[in-house]
Amino acid sequence: MTPARKDLLIGALLLAVAIVTPLFLSGRYVIGQLTLFFIWATIVTQWNLVFGVAGIFSLAQLALFALGGYSTAMLGLYFNWNLWAALPIGGLAAVVLSLVIGLACLRLRGPYVALLTLAISQVMYLLIITDTACFYMEGVTCRNFTGGTRGFAKYGDFGFRELLGYKYMAHGDYYLALVVLALATTFSIFVIHSPLGAAFQALRDNPEYARSRGISRFKFQMLVFASSAFFTGLAGGVYSGYYKVMGANTLYTSLLLFLLAMMVIGGLGQTWGPLLGAAALMLADEALKDYPDYRAMGVGAALVVFILLWPKGIAGGISALFDRLKPAGSNLPKSLALRAKNNSRRSNAGP
Amino acid sequence: MNTATQILVSGLTLGAMYAISTVSLSLVWGALNLLNMAQGAMLTLGGYFAYATVASLGFPPVIAVFITVALGALVGLVIYFSVIRQMLDTEGFEVNVIIATVGIGTVIENLMLKIFGAYPIRQPIMWEGGFFIGRTHVPYNSVVIVVASVFLMLVLAAILTRTRMGRAIRAVSQNREAAQLMGVPVQLVYAQVLLFAGALSAASGMMLSTITTLSPTMGYDPMLKAFIICVIAGLGNIAGALYAAFLLGVFEALVQFLFGVRFAFPAMLLLVILALIWRPYGVFGRRRVSRQ
Repeated sequence: MTPARKDLLIGALLLAVAIVTPLFLSGRYVIGQLTLFFIWATIVTQWNLVFGVAGIFSLAQLALFALGGYSTAMLGLYFNWNLWAALPIGGLAAVVLSLVIGLACLRLRGPYVALLTLAISQVMYLLIITDTACFYMEGVTCRNFTGGTRGFAKYGDFGFRELLGYKYMAHGDYYLALVVLALATTFSIFVIHSPLGAAFQALRDNPEYARSRGISRFKFQMLVFASSAFFTGLAGGVYSGYYKVMGANTLYTSLLLFLLAMMVIGGLGQTWGPLLGAAALMLADEALKDYPDYRAMGVGAALVVFILLWPKGIAGGISALFDRLKPAGSNLPKSLALRAKNNSRRSNAGP
Repeated sequence: MNTATQILVSGLTLGAMYAISTVSLSLVWGALNLLNMAQGAMLTLGGYFAYATVASLGFPPVIAVFITVALGALVGLVIYFSVIRQMLDTEGFEVNVIIATVGIGTVIENLMLKIFGAYPIRQPIMWEGGFFIGRTHVPYNSVVIVVASVFLMLVLAAILTRTRMGRAIRAVSQNREAAQLMGVPVQLVYAQVLLFAGALSAASGMMLSTITTLSPTMGYDPMLKAFIICVIAGLGNIAGALYAAFLLGVFEALVQFLFGVRFAFPAMLLLVILALIWRPYGVFGRRRVSRQ
């Protein structure tokens, strides 16, 4: 079985589990948390493609997510669009932003990319929260174009309440977020095992040789950055339709850190790292719910510990474990493994 | 005339704030190729050290300044020995160390939040009073900061160019392997750089907090501005950072006056991106520094 098939099979199994889970769990809180898990996991799988696979040290992932959410909400509020129609526009808006960021930053080296993208998201945050100009009046209160510090509300939702009734409206959001996550994960498996993934591996292992064979880092990075931005923007749209409020809290540094920790702890560049990391962090956050003071501190400490001791994260640890469990020689190509086997047989048969 | 003086005074004060936030960042980045994302937290720590030694332990301000700087140096050493040293020579150091310092910064910031609370506190170590130029009030504190930032930069530049230790630091920053082969004790040089960086950050944070007041997140914004200044000045170019800091300070004051406070940071960012396209090795960069 090729690695791509194996990953798709694992994905299909996980998807099946996720589809039947709501049949056994009825609690609204659990369904809600799982929906949120799907949204974060979508962002982190795409960030992992950008950061772990394509080697772009972008910290603007939340800016793309927030832009998707804001575009969806603003289309609903200002133009009375149905959010289903606004959702893909949110994805496209994120693509446009990613192209702009990419053109400005991607020719630079790692640390420069990191701090320019961080500065870009900070600028976006500051422009939103310092917006005090009146754009329209709601009764006697003045509302800002970007929502200001209050954010947006009452811009509509995905209509699950009318469609499924009050009892099952949370399930609608659950399955929508799941579909987006499934699409995003399939895309990421596709990229990792495609020639694109091979090109990035080549660029990492031997940049001079890869370049001499005509592999353009800039072109491939732009391609991955822009297409992953689409799914990130979609996740933003789902978030705004699910919460029914959209504000600048989606751009907080603490959230950026939380998602960064998911990516690092799960395993940078590993196919299943983002899902494992998102699950681990959501569970840990749940466990620390009664100690809010230590949440952020724990995230920071976990980042340092993992990057120091287990830079390949949980996913790297699991695959190392599997490699150890496999019988010796099974990692070799078939012909070599066969030869090793024959050799051992011969030596056993010897005098 | 009055408006111009006002813009110039507030611009120079801002510039001095940026200059002192940039020194240690520029040093660590230039010498170790290490983007220290814990810089903001180290500034914050300096501010709180000064506050705690005066307000809680009751030391006179003059002694408190020295204690603050010493504690800052200690923090730099602790960060070096506990984290950075373990990561040197590992695969993907340049990126991993950024993630690690983000983590360290978060831990420090939240420790400060836990110990001192989220409410802004006034920094007790400061020069009260001021004088007038025309009708513009100039606080003595701003003058002290401008002078101190220039002084610190000059001292650092003197250390880097005139002393044996500075020569070793520059050698390591230019080519680590070659320096090691010539018998430069690389590990020691790294430890020295982080010691200096910690001490400078503490001093900068203390001065910074006299203007911004103390809060656990006070270092974040100056850190971002310092990044931008480093990018404009060119990698590890300390003299360039000094010019860039003051120019950007005046630029920011001008934008604030003309377009409003909220457009100051976006305008700065735009300037950086243009600068990177126009001169990818930094506006004040003499030697070619690769950013690609």
